Amino acid sequence: MSDVSRLLADYGPAFGQALFLTWKLTIVSFVPGFLLGMIVTVLRLFPLPPLRFVLTVYVEIFRNIPSVALLIFIVFALPDLNVLIDYEPSVILTLVLVCSAFTADYLRSGINTIAGGQIEAALSLGLRPMQIISAVVLPQALRAVVQPMTSLLIALMLSTSLASQVPFPGRELTALASKIANDSAAGIAAFAVAAAMYVATGLLMAWAGATLEKKVRILR
Amino acid sequence: MSRPLEDILFGAPSPQAQAVMRAVSVTAAAVLLLLVAGIVFRFHSAGQLDVRFWEFFAWPTTWAFLARGLLGTLASAAMATLIALTLGLVLLLGRLARPRLVRWPSIAVIEFLRGTPTLLLIYVCFLVLPPAGLKLSTYWMLTLPIGLSTAAVVAEVYRAGVLAVPRGQTDAARSLGLTEAQVFFFVVFPQALRYIVPALVAQLVIVVKDTTFGYVVTYGELMQNAKVLIANYHSLVPVYLVVAALYCLVNYAISRESKRLDRPMH
Repeated sequence: MSDVSRLLADYGPAFGQALFLTWKLTIVSFVPGFLLGMIVTVLRLFPLPPLRFVLTVYVEIFRNIPSVALLIFIVFALPDLNVLIDYEPSVILTLVLVCSAFTADYLRSGINTIAGGQIEAALSLGLRPMQIISAVVLPQALRAVVQPMTSLLIALMLSTSLASQVPFPGRELTALASKIANDSAAGIAAFAVAAAMYVATGLLMAWAGATLEKKVRILR
Repeated sequence: MSRPLEDILFGAPSPQAQAVMRAVSVTAAAVLLLLVAGIVFRFHSAGQLDVRFWEFFAWPTTWAFLARGLLGTLASAAMATLIALTLGLVLLLGRLARPRLVRWPSIAVIEFLRGTPTLLLIYVCFLVLPPAGLKLSTYWMLTLPIGLSTAAVVAEVYRAGVLAVPRGQTDAARSLGLTEAQVFFFVVFPQALRYIVPALVAQLVIVVKDTTFGYVVTYGELMQNAKVLIANYHSLVPVYLVVAALYCLVNYAISRESKRLDRPMH
């Protein structure tokens, strides 16, 4: 315990900043990733075979590639192709791509919960396909995926730890803890504090997700 | 199985709509081909299509080395899975136990392992344990943290399965005079397993992905061996592309299997 209090006296503000950076990375990759995943899901509905094929390949690639491998490719291999992306945007890009692929996958299962009769009914009312997607399909699909999306958000938050794999200007929790472990003997306390911050954030997200789920869940 | 939703949505297009769709399809195909051509041209203009960057892929030694890496990946993933499945069961039993003195610590351990990045646990095994006198081999520095964090997830998956088993099964088994342990291991758990096999297989994908961190502890898995190849041949882009493709293939195969198992059995 005294280890932890001494550590917090020395590195308290640094931990605050690291936690904040972890949150920031999570949000700036979740929001665009979610929107991109939604666009991919909608585009995959259209009867355009070439587009469907490419988007299916897109989803399968980014769902199955390890995020670290993707990050390392973006940071170390792309410069050889004369594509230079700074470290922070690289991390965010990695997380956005992975998040969008999982979002597309989950939303698709959400869409599968909608009965075909609803679409037939909407068509017979004279709604156009785009109107049906935005007024009938998406709202129900979104309400059906609150739980998997919460898990995805938590997984994404934990994935921000891979920012520690590139020389990042700021330090997020994992990078800070491993730096303290390298510099001093307070390693175990540093890891404990970082882990507590991750767990607390995750529990907070799970609670918020469960609350939202209870509000919007469709009882069938 | 009813028709997919998009088939109903765009089921009966007018001739006009059909023409529009065909035109858009062709345009989309053209744009995508242009994109591919652009990428290939980028490779060419950056000199990445040079023979010297690719020729070593024609040598069997390269593939043998990559295969050894993949084997290292699979060896770590298999052991981590084994740890996760057994420790997950222990955590589940603790989680379901009635005495609070057992249940609460189990919940705490599950939430801790589940809510901490695997990478952080790997760093603990890599940076903290050796100075403390506990020297693990690189294999265990990678496999143990992955096994631990997966165990917590598996415990929750098990629990979802157990809760899905109808209550009547437990009541019936108890009324036959089975002990609590018999009820759990002979009646409830086997049925629970059948519900959750797809979820467990899907978890395997995450295990394989996590073994990518092997290069952090310099354990000889696929990513680490890729780094060695790159150091030898100075061929970054081709090696990373091939390795990424290998990971995608392995994980895609596992995901496919999980989705296949997920189809209802009758």
